[in-house]
Amino acid sequence: MRELLPWLRLIFQRWGRLSVGGLLLLITVISGMGLLALSGWFITETALTGLLLAAGVQASINLYTPGGGIRLFAIVRTVGRYLERVYNHDTVLRQLSDIRTRLFRQLAATPRSQRLGLSGAQWLSRLTRDVDALDTLYLRLIAPTALAAVVSLLAVFLAAVLFDVRLALWLGLLLASALLFSTIGTLLRTRQTSRRLSDSEEDLRTHIIEHLEGFAELTAAGRTGKHAAWLMRQAHGFAKEQAKVDRRVGWNQAFTHLLINLAAIAVLWAGFGLFQSGQISGPVLVLLPIALLGLAEVYGGLPEAFGKLGASETAAIRLNRDSLSGPGEQKIPTNEPSKGTALVATELGVRYDDAPPILMHFNLNVACGEHLGIIGHSGSGKSTLADVLAGLVPAFQGDIAHLPLSYLTQSTVLFEDTLKANLRVGDPTASDAALWRVLELVELGERFASESDLLDTWLGNSGSRLSGGEARRIALARVLLNPAPLLILDEPFTGVDVPTRERICHNLRCWLKGKAVIALGHGPDALPDTDRVIHLIS
Amino acid sequence: MYGAVVAGVVTGIATLVQMAMFALIVHRGVGEAVPVSELSPLFLVLVAAVLVRALGQGMQTRMAARCSEHVRCDARRQIHQHWNAAGPVALSHFSAGALTREWLDHVEALHGYYARFLPQLVLALIIPSLILILTFTLDWIAGLLLLLSAPLIPLFMALVGMGAERLNQQHFQTISRLSGQFLDKVRGLTTLQLFGQTDTAASLLATRSDAYRRITMKTLRIAFLSSAVLEFFASMAIAVIAIYVGFGLLGYITFGPANELTLFSGLLILLLAPEFFQPLRSLSQHYHDRASALGAGAEILARMNDLERDSPRCGNDIQYEDKVEDSVRLGAVGLSYQQAKPVFSDVSLTFEKGDCIALTGPSGGGKSSLLHLLAGFVMPDGGSISVFGKPPGSFSFGWLGQTGFLVQGSWADNLRLTRPDASDIAIEAALSNAGLRPLLDSRDAGIYSQVSEDGQGLSGGQARRLSLARIFVADYDLILLDEPTAGLDTDSEVHVIEALHKLAEAGKTLIFSTHHQALLTLADRVLLVSEGELRDA
Repeated sequence: MRELLPWLRLIFQRWGRLSVGGLLLLITVISGMGLLALSGWFITETALTGLLLAAGVQASINLYTPGGGIRLFAIVRTVGRYLERVYNHDTVLRQLSDIRTRLFRQLAATPRSQRLGLSGAQWLSRLTRDVDALDTLYLRLIAPTALAAVVSLLAVFLAAVLFDVRLALWLGLLLASALLFSTIGTLLRTRQTSRRLSDSEEDLRTHIIEHLEGFAELTAAGRTGKHAAWLMRQAHGFAKEQAKVDRRVGWNQAFTHLLINLAAIAVLWAGFGLFQSGQISGPVLVLLPIALLGLAEVYGGLPEAFGKLGASETAAIRLNRDSLSGPGEQKIPTNEPSKGTALVATELGVRYDDAPPILMHFNLNVACGEHLGIIGHSGSGKSTLADVLAGLVPAFQGDIAHLPLSYLTQSTVLFEDTLKANLRVGDPTASDAALWRVLELVELGERFASESDLLDTWLGNSGSRLSGGEARRIALARVLLNPAPLLILDEPFTGVDVPTRERICHNLRCWLKGKAVIALGHGPDALPDTDRVIHLIS
Repeated sequence: MYGAVVAGVVTGIATLVQMAMFALIVHRGVGEAVPVSELSPLFLVLVAAVLVRALGQGMQTRMAARCSEHVRCDARRQIHQHWNAAGPVALSHFSAGALTREWLDHVEALHGYYARFLPQLVLALIIPSLILILTFTLDWIAGLLLLLSAPLIPLFMALVGMGAERLNQQHFQTISRLSGQFLDKVRGLTTLQLFGQTDTAASLLATRSDAYRRITMKTLRIAFLSSAVLEFFASMAIAVIAIYVGFGLLGYITFGPANELTLFSGLLILLLAPEFFQPLRSLSQHYHDRASALGAGAEILARMNDLERDSPRCGNDIQYEDKVEDSVRLGAVGLSYQQAKPVFSDVSLTFEKGDCIALTGPSGGGKSSLLHLLAGFVMPDGGSISVFGKPPGSFSFGWLGQTGFLVQGSWADNLRLTRPDASDIAIEAALSNAGLRPLLDSRDAGIYSQVSEDGQGLSGGQARRLSLARIFVADYDLILLDEPTAGLDTDSEVHVIEALHKLAEAGKTLIFSTHHQALLTLADRVLLVSEGELRDA
């Protein structure tokens, strides 16, 4: 349960909304029970009075108060139900939004090294399903449990006032056991399976994504059918476990209902004793058991909610592990270089994780406006060096000082958004004209001028409607758009054919004038024009 | 489902008995002042009814769970069939995340519909009818009151439901878009950090979530009207019946059967009134199960249609069988995708088994499309095509896409994915052939060391070589490679070229698209693919 605490705290931040929502719930439930109980009282009262009248005995009855009460309960019940539903669901959606945004901010603050261990498919599971699992906490769990406790207490109180204290205590005991059974009882019976399900669902999701991503290779190898059959077996096992949880929840629901019905019967039985000794009237005897029958509505949803709590806990554990445990992003301190210099690295040591160092005692001085090329083989640590120079990864020794920079990483990252939004990541203030200019620069102006949506063209799944080279050029355009005086470009022309690359290099000559550029690539032809070139030799 | 309905009916009848016993006990004990000891048999029947009710309730969920389990398995199997029919090219147009969500989550959304809504739909007809009959025998005016309120409910619910349904589909779309947005931002977190845009992205997420909330609230405000209508009728019916019965018992109502009312019949009618509405109320509670299932179902079906539309379809006059088992032949092949100018209109090509063919030309010129044709991932509009005398794609071959593809697990798992029976030795040999031997030797667990999914711990070039090793382990005759050296460093490039050379030497038929000079030299024949035309370079 401890895992849920940070999220519960987030949920309770909106305590005002929660209390109003809870109150609306309480009013609705009490009017429902009140309506039936008062009606039962009224019918018994009129029946007894009717018997007296029929026997010729003078008897009078106040019809207006109970009649008015019945109508009032009926109306409050209807209006309350509607308001409660709308209001509480609005609250839940607000909380969902809170949770997503908070999670994103936390992830942004989590050290990069910790995030790196996670794969795409796991992200998908964790960040959508896990967040969804937390949204059930308030409306399905917290509110109904609190409601059941409050209404049960009211019933016990009513029993103590109308009947007697001993009976009230017995009733309290029965209701408490119903409450415990439907909540903690369900949790204990389903927790293990629920957790296991939650984990195996994540595995299943990873496998499906792998199946889809490797579809071409699997198809070529003639293995799609076999692999799909294997996935179906996994899914079948998963569905079987799920059915097990469903069944247990169902039986707990039935048993809870049984306890409540037995409580009503017990009160009726004990009430007869009091009635026959003249301590209570007939109508009052009827009132309480009927009210108790109404409790079933309150308890009804609890087992299901607690059946899902195990999964919510697992979700919270995963979210916490990925986003909360880190000490926060360590800002790598950078110093201003001396005037006229864009970047200075002294005695730099670079290594990938804990692998042996790739570079030792590396000194680099890039002047403002200078264009430097760095060429290296695989394992020469090109990209790691770029990450270090850009301040993404700390150097394990040495110092770096540099001007503000804009960095094109080795992997192309485009967002599922419009072309405009994708480019504006580089410079949020850029005008449309500036965007077109930079598109011309990477030879994409014509390509998008012919699209009907122009700059608002939607770049689909990770830019899948673009060729690899086009996506790369958009990522390059984004970096060029950024006003920083220093550019670090890691393999800027991946997937771009030679004629296009040459045209882009030509266009860039003018644009890059005055900016310092560090371009990294596997060969001289993979780089824009350079003033000097460093070869990394492993 | 029938099991669940039968259990539900048993539960309903037990409930009627429970209420009848309750009313009878009150009638005898309070109305006729019978001593409590004489009421014990009635109490025993009451307890028995309550027990049967609980048993029926438990059985109902049990049966419903089983039914939904079958339905979901079926749905998943069908989705798989559509994926297979669509093939890799059509599938790659859709996000793997969205497809996965449909296969897993959208199918899960069917659960509520089959486990709860459908059985409840039948019960909502049976149980109220039973109660109505019983009420009519007790007092026909009260029965009439219930009867009058009953038909209005489905009417209102249908009206309200229609609006909710339309909005609900929108709601589903928003959810899948939004989670896509969220994930996409998280995936690009490093990029956002580099440009200092994480805060902007977070507020964008918040605004989009808010927009999603507003859209959803529009759905819910209308969807909840149906439960309000139901609540209104249920509450009003109870109130009216209570007052009618009360006045009848007092003898104020001089017409109809009211003067025959007793405490028993009056109380029973009152207790039955909420039970009359209860199945309908459950139904309305499960209404969003139906709405979600319909929304999810609609999305699944829409995707199936999309996939069917994009599926490779045989043109009318394509010929496959060529009887020439040692050559690859394309004759007057045309290929076009939807609403676009044809990629190829009339392409012919013949080469022999064991040839090494390089395709070169500008990006977008049709190199990949030609490879897809030879792989059988897409079907030509017309012409004839045969690979070794067979239709393309009808036998196993090697494929290396532009992005290397890794699964979570060890090196061995990765290689056994396409060749499950490969021996450890074969795997090691394949990895050596792809130039991964030194890397393998540096890992403690050898081929059983973990390779994480997106190539972490491996450079891009190493990941591509791992994919290439799959081809070595399987010993295919035909190997298609899309830009095998694009974006690789010199080191990996050398290994890949060397590996391809080995494959060519071994007499494999190699076809690859490339711009790389060394690969062009490796090829027996270089073809220039440009603007849908094919000629020797």
